[in-house]
Formats: sequence, C-alpha cells, structure tokens
Amino acid sequence: MATVKKKILVVDDENEIVDFLESFLRRFNLNVVKASSGNDALALYDKERPDWVFLDIMMPDRDGISVLKELKKIDARVKVIVITGKEEQAFREKARGFGAIDYITKPLDLGELSQKIKNYIVDED
Amino acid sequence: MRIDYRRSLEKAARQMILIHRPDTLVKLILRAIQRTVKVRHAGMFIYDKSRDAYVVKISRGFSGLKIPSGFAKLNADNPLITYFTDQRLPFDRGSLLWDKIRRLKPLRRDKKTAAFISSLKFNLSLYSARACIPSFCRRELVAVLFLGEKINRKSFVEEEVGFLSVLASDMAMAIKNAWLVEDLNQQLERNKRLLLQVVSALASSIEAKDQYTKGHTERVVDCAMQIARRLKHTVDSQAWSSFTEELKVAALLHDIGKIGIPEVVLNKPDVLSEEERRIIQKHPLIGQSILGHIEGFESVLLGVKYHHERYDGCGYPEGLKGKKIPFVAAIIALADAFDAMTSDRPYRQALSLAETLEEVRRNRGKQFSPIVVDAFLKIYENKDSR
Repeated sequence: MATVKKKILVVDDENEIVDFLESFLRRFNLNVVKASSGNDALALYDKERPDWVFLDIMMPDRDGISVLKELKKIDARVKVIVITGKEEQAFREKARGFGAIDYITKPLDLGELSQKIKNYIVDED
Repeated sequence: MRIDYRRSLEKAARQMILIHRPDTLVKLILRAIQRTVKVRHAGMFIYDKSRDAYVVKISRGFSGLKIPSGFAKLNADNPLITYFTDQRLPFDRGSLLWDKIRRLKPLRRDKKTAAFISSLKFNLSLYSARACIPSFCRRELVAVLFLGEKINRKSFVEEEVGFLSVLASDMAMAIKNAWLVEDLNQQLERNKRLLLQVVSALASSIEAKDQYTKGHTERVVDCAMQIARRLKHTVDSQAWSSFTEELKVAALLHDIGKIGIPEVVLNKPDVLSEEERRIIQKHPLIGQSILGHIEGFESVLLGVKYHHERYDGCGYPEGLKGKKIPFVAAIIALADAFDAMTSDRPYRQALSLAETLEEVRRNRGKQFSPIVVDAFLKIYENKDSR
C-alpha cells in the first residue's frame, strides 16, 4: 500500500518565503498548504489538519506566539517548527515554552534545514 | 542569436560609475544577467562579518526557486565557499559549474577529494545552483553569485562565464567600497560620541565649582536645542547636522570660563559689586582662551565667547550688535537668560513662566535677537495649544 504523503502547513507573511519553502518541502515528497497570516493559518489548520506546521513568529496581523497558543487549543498535539530572525531570541525561548518542537533561524543554511526536515518529518514514527 | 556580451559589459560598467549604492548596483546587474544569460533564478550571497557567513542579500527569478533575500546563508566552512577560499584544495578557484563538477572523477584512492566533490554536488542541488561565480576583491571573497539553471536547460558556455566573472569582480569592488564607507561612518559616530562625553565631563567640572548652576548647563543645552529645531528652515539643510552638533557643544561649554573665576565671587549670596561684576564678566574670554587651541572648534568658540552679547550692542565682551552676533551665541544667550530667570537665586526668587515669557517678549530686539525670540516663543505656543 502506498504511504499517504504527509501534509505541511507553511505560515509566513512573506510570499516569497512561503513559495520557497513549499518547493523545498516538495523535494522531500511532502504535501504543502500555505497561509500568509496568523488568522489564515488557524482556519487552514482546522480544515486541513496538517502533520506539521512551519510558523513565522513575526507577522503583521498577530504575533506567532498567539497563533501557536490558538493552534494548541485546536489540537493539543500540533507539531510546530518556528521560523525566527536572529533578533527574536526572546520570542524563540517563549515559543519553546509554548510547545514548539524546534525553531529555524533566518538566515539559515539549507543543509541544516534539510537535516531538520529529514529528522523530524521524513523519518518520523 | 548571439548575445553581444561586450556591449552588455560596457553598459554595466557605465551604470557602475553612476551608482554608489551597492544594493542598487547588484540589483541592476542581476537583472542584466537574467536578461542576457536567461537563468531561472539568480542570487548574490554577500559576506556578513557578524555571522561569518555569506547571506543572500539580493535575488530574483521564478517563484519557489528564487531564494528570498535574508532567508538563506552559507557558512564560511560550507564547501561552496571553501571551494573558493581553501587554497589546499586541488581546484582552480575560478567559477564552480555544475556540469563540470558532475563529470569530475577523482582517483578511487583519493577519498577526501571524492567526499568533497559529492558534498559540493549535494550543496549545489540544495541551493538549485548550476553556477557559482566568486566575487573577489584582491584575495578576499566578498560575495558569491549564484545562478540557477538556464531557461533553455543548456550548459553555461565559456563566453558567458567570462562575462559573469567580470561582472562579479566589479560587484566585489562596489560592495567593498560600501563597507569602507560604512566603517568610516561608524568610526566617525564613535568619535562624535567620545567628543560629547569629554565635553560633558568638562562642563560638569564648572558645576562642581559653582553651586548655583547645578543642572543649569543641561537645561541650557536642552533649551538651545529646542530653539534650534524651530529655526531649521533658516539653516542650509546640508549644514544642519553640523550646526546642531556645534550648538550642543557650545551650549555645554558656554560657562567653562567660570573655572577661572574665584569661588568667593561665583558663590556670593548677595548682589555683586561693580568690581565683582567686572571679574565675572571675564568668563567668556577665559572660556575662549581655554578652548582656543582646539582644532575645528571655531564656531563653538564663537558661541562661548559671545553668549553674553546683546542684540542692542550693550552686552560684553565686545558689545557686538544685531546680526554681527554669531547665531550660535544668540541662541545660547536666550537659553542662558531664560534659565537664569526661571531659577531661584539667593538674592531673588525665580520668575514665573508667564513673567519670563513676557520679559523675553519685551526684550525682543533689545537684549535678544528677534528671530531667536520668535523661535523660542514657538516652543511655548505649541505647549499651550496641546
């Protein structure tokens, strides 16, 4: 039986980043759904129930921490990898506190990104 | 159709002369590259000292392939970088081309080179790069130009690589120059801060001696700067920042000459005698002689020397009149008098704000310069209207 492709929700207010992550994740044979705001992300999560979420912590409509909290309310077992910039150290710690599995810091080495995708998502279970 | 690279190069070179901002330049060059070489995406990884990594600063191309600016980096020890920087490696340090690397077959026994080559291939595919062109300035790798696959899927030809290499090294020069300018500006800022700290220390030495002027200097600086802000339209915009810097330093140091006045006179609790007044009136000239040998302090000196001149010519030390009084000095004169009027003295109480404003208004064109008075009154008009 063919395995079902895993589904990843990518949330970032920068379309370029969402598109880039989408094509990058597809290389690992993953399905991608995209959201460009925190509110979109919550609606989409509820509808699509993705296996993993890549969540930008700095977005104009609401900060990623509050999105993270809401996601936890929708699904207590939600698996989130947070995307941060170097300057957002405090946010990063907070995100861990609110149950993010890991984070990636921009600018990132694509080798490290690929390693994380493999470790967490592809080789999961 | 053959592309005329020489013409493109000449055009690029002309643009380079006109553009001083490296971001704009790199953007233009990437656009030119995309148009002439026709690649699916292109990006410039520029060295970032604070991270010891090369970060994508500018990129363009098809969505999904284009690496967003600021999103990805290559650490200095990434094979795509050491290929160019590590002189122990058996490569020519020229351009790194996917099609060449793919065909490289190291000797079986040379496991190290084999591992390096496979890691190069892995990284090239991670970044969807088919060609990496180094941007060297002298022997320093300033940036790396990344190019994706050509739209016609063909290999890069030698002519193209030559063209790209020339552009890349020109970009290196532009980026390096921008760094130098940035370094210089930072150094300048540091020096300015240092100067202000030293000047503030000097200024506080007067206050240590003259007990009635505690906090006076700071208030005069503050008031003078507020007046200046309302005079911005009268000062040439290019001269504005140096004007305010000089005003600030002059305001900080306006009473520095009081260091040379005996403490008994400075701290006398009664009204001064004629003789004592004459002694105290020496402080602007003493200030001038203390600061006189400092290079570049010419307008600071004018502010210190003439801050007790009056618009009607009845001030000291020279009795300068009207517009002959340097602007910096005229501003400090009002700020200084304002603070004196609103402070208690042992022999009299402070005036109320309303009384002080009236006094300033009454002295417009007498003690104080009309332009300066008008600017000064605007500070309080705004406060009233709020």
